[in-house]
Amino acid sequence: MSFRVPRRTIAAFLGPAVAALAIVGIVPLLYAVWKSLHYFNLTKIAQQRFVGLDNYGAVLTDPVFWQAMGRTALLFAIAVPVQIALGLVIALVLHRPGLSFGKTLTRLSLVLPMATTYAVVGLLAQVMLNQKYGVINQMLGWVGIDAINFIGDPTNAFIAVVLWDIWQWTPFVALVLLAGLSTVPPEIEEAAKLETRSNWTVLRHVQLPFLIPSLVAVLILRTADTLKLFDMPFTMTRGGPGSATEFIAVLIERVGNRQFDIGMAAAQSIIMLAITIILARLYIRLFYREVR
Amino acid sequence: MKLKSHVSAIALTASAMAGLAGAAQAWTLEEAAKPYAGTELEVLFLDRPGYNAAIKMLPEFEAATGIKVNYTTVPYENALGEQVRDFVAGGDLDIALIDLVWMGNFAENGWIVPSETFINDPALADPELDMADFFPLVLDAFGSWNGVNYGLPFDNYSGLLFYNKCLLEEAGFDKPPATWQEVMDVYGPALTKDGKFAYALQSKRNETQSADSFARFLWPFGGSFLDAEFKSNLNSPESQAGLQFRQDLMKFMPEGIVAYDHAETVNAFAQGDVAMITEWSAFYSTVVSPETSKVADCVEIAPEPTGPAGRKPALGGFSLAVANQADDAEKAAAWLFIQWVTSKAKAGQYLEMGGVPARQSAYADPALAATYKYIPALVESWQEGVPEFRPRFAEWPAITEIVQEWGTKIMLGEVSIEEGSKMIGEKMEAVLAEAGYYDGKKPLAQ
Repeated sequence: MSFRVPRRTIAAFLGPAVAALAIVGIVPLLYAVWKSLHYFNLTKIAQQRFVGLDNYGAVLTDPVFWQAMGRTALLFAIAVPVQIALGLVIALVLHRPGLSFGKTLTRLSLVLPMATTYAVVGLLAQVMLNQKYGVINQMLGWVGIDAINFIGDPTNAFIAVVLWDIWQWTPFVALVLLAGLSTVPPEIEEAAKLETRSNWTVLRHVQLPFLIPSLVAVLILRTADTLKLFDMPFTMTRGGPGSATEFIAVLIERVGNRQFDIGMAAAQSIIMLAITIILARLYIRLFYREVR
Repeated sequence: MKLKSHVSAIALTASAMAGLAGAAQAWTLEEAAKPYAGTELEVLFLDRPGYNAAIKMLPEFEAATGIKVNYTTVPYENALGEQVRDFVAGGDLDIALIDLVWMGNFAENGWIVPSETFINDPALADPELDMADFFPLVLDAFGSWNGVNYGLPFDNYSGLLFYNKCLLEEAGFDKPPATWQEVMDVYGPALTKDGKFAYALQSKRNETQSADSFARFLWPFGGSFLDAEFKSNLNSPESQAGLQFRQDLMKFMPEGIVAYDHAETVNAFAQGDVAMITEWSAFYSTVVSPETSKVADCVEIAPEPTGPAGRKPALGGFSLAVANQADDAEKAAAWLFIQWVTSKAKAGQYLEMGGVPARQSAYADPALAATYKYIPALVESWQEGVPEFRPRFAEWPAITEIVQEWGTKIMLGEVSIEEGSKMIGEKMEAVLAEAGYYDGKKPLAQ
């Protein structure tokens, strides 16, 4: 017996969600697109005017924008593979049978870094990495290592942000991959383990195919997160020293909220959005095919 | 008859004058505020001693006037953005809190009301207002733009030399350095040893880099941001000498000084790791309190050292002005509050509670200098400062970002001083050209 749901019922169920999405997502996005076509500086409202694609031209030819984009890409290229590798190891360990109390504790503790507000993570880093009084340099001192100038040296500051990002987001990757491992049918996994004693073979041929959707989700979410990474470096280094940790979102905030050039910041954001969408489509096309 | 009319005219004039005098004598805050009882005012405050002092004083004002002052405390870094967005959107703020470098911005956008609107209103103007009692430099720099006064100085700072007398005495000095050259040649080498440093200059990439670090070494060396035609003056021999001096002085500062903000610098001094800092007067209470300072008993204060061009110390601070977006009752109530909290009568109380008033009369009592060691240096500094220590025009928010980025790169050695200065100059001139300073659209006011 087929049952046809009336259109009105469908609209009633979907309507609120679509309206909410439109209000909080689509309308502001369209407004940002509109503003990106204007010279719109909050401190020079009288000079507001339509400038067409001028802001986009300025952004695309601005070396500062591309340097910030390069820095963000470098952060992503270093941090995400490490997060995936460490996350996979943690997920595989937690996936093994036994030690259920220990595993519960571990799972709980994994949530803590993610649950900590980004800005607080940055402030914690600023205090913990302080060259003179920070706990990390104190601990290094116990093993005879001289205090490291983490925040005041451009290279060290970048490395510190990478390490801090790895600390905060490896647990997230681990939990997502653990959820992915739980989708592997136990009978297939057991059969595979009877066939071979090599854990690598089981991982490569049995578990990994089931992990692909989780990995794609991790890649998409971590890409978006890295592109919009703002709070942590802002409170930790404020983009400095120099421009060493001025990632793309930090730059956009500076242009929009400190220079008040909303038109330019909107153009930068729209370009960043386009890059995010392209990367997400690429991930899905390249990796997702395997499990279709 | 004629005589009679003369007499009557004189009598009338006399009685009118007596009436005016009577009115002046009769002016009280309570009477002036009566029509505005129940009015609520919105203002942003910072978490600094001057604001905490004002907060402690608020109940007295509210009880006398029936006007309620609602303050929201925000970090300094957010204060400009919060206010700009509020004023652009026609929000709730009735009083503008204006850092001296925001003055041109606020005045040119018409967000604040000139003080004379209220000073000329006998119902609102306190006869004891006495504008001449404010330090002229402070009133000009913190409260005025292009010859018009908008705000009354409220939270007032000058850069001062805080020094650790005990460390200086151990090294054989019985007084602080009088010149920057002495810091470089004599005090620097003698005080930089055993893991301690002679001097720390807060230089983090935010307003600290522009105001506390970069500008501090321009002016005493005869340099400046702009020349008389508003072109960059940063590559002049004087500006270059100042910036080179800052670079050379870094060998007497802790490693990683570009990451030092006020907190790190004051803390390094308070822990006894650094012998001298040049900081705002507002940090006095932190370094002399045994709760926050290990060297409380050793702290002494002097004016900043002089350079070849004189002292020209760092100048910073905030005024309060009436916001244009407020309605008439709120404007009147806001003026009454601003006038009261910055008044001669309340200056002593404000000082006692941790604020730094800009009233000359507040510092007249020589006994005060014994209690507040920074007073003589502060008063001296306010005689020798430059109002445009940092340009105060509307373009400063854009220019300070450029200075912050390249000033830090210079300190890190990522670019040479000359190259970095050239870069700041080019970018600064581009901002000023777009604003219309070079084609006569805007007066050359800073």
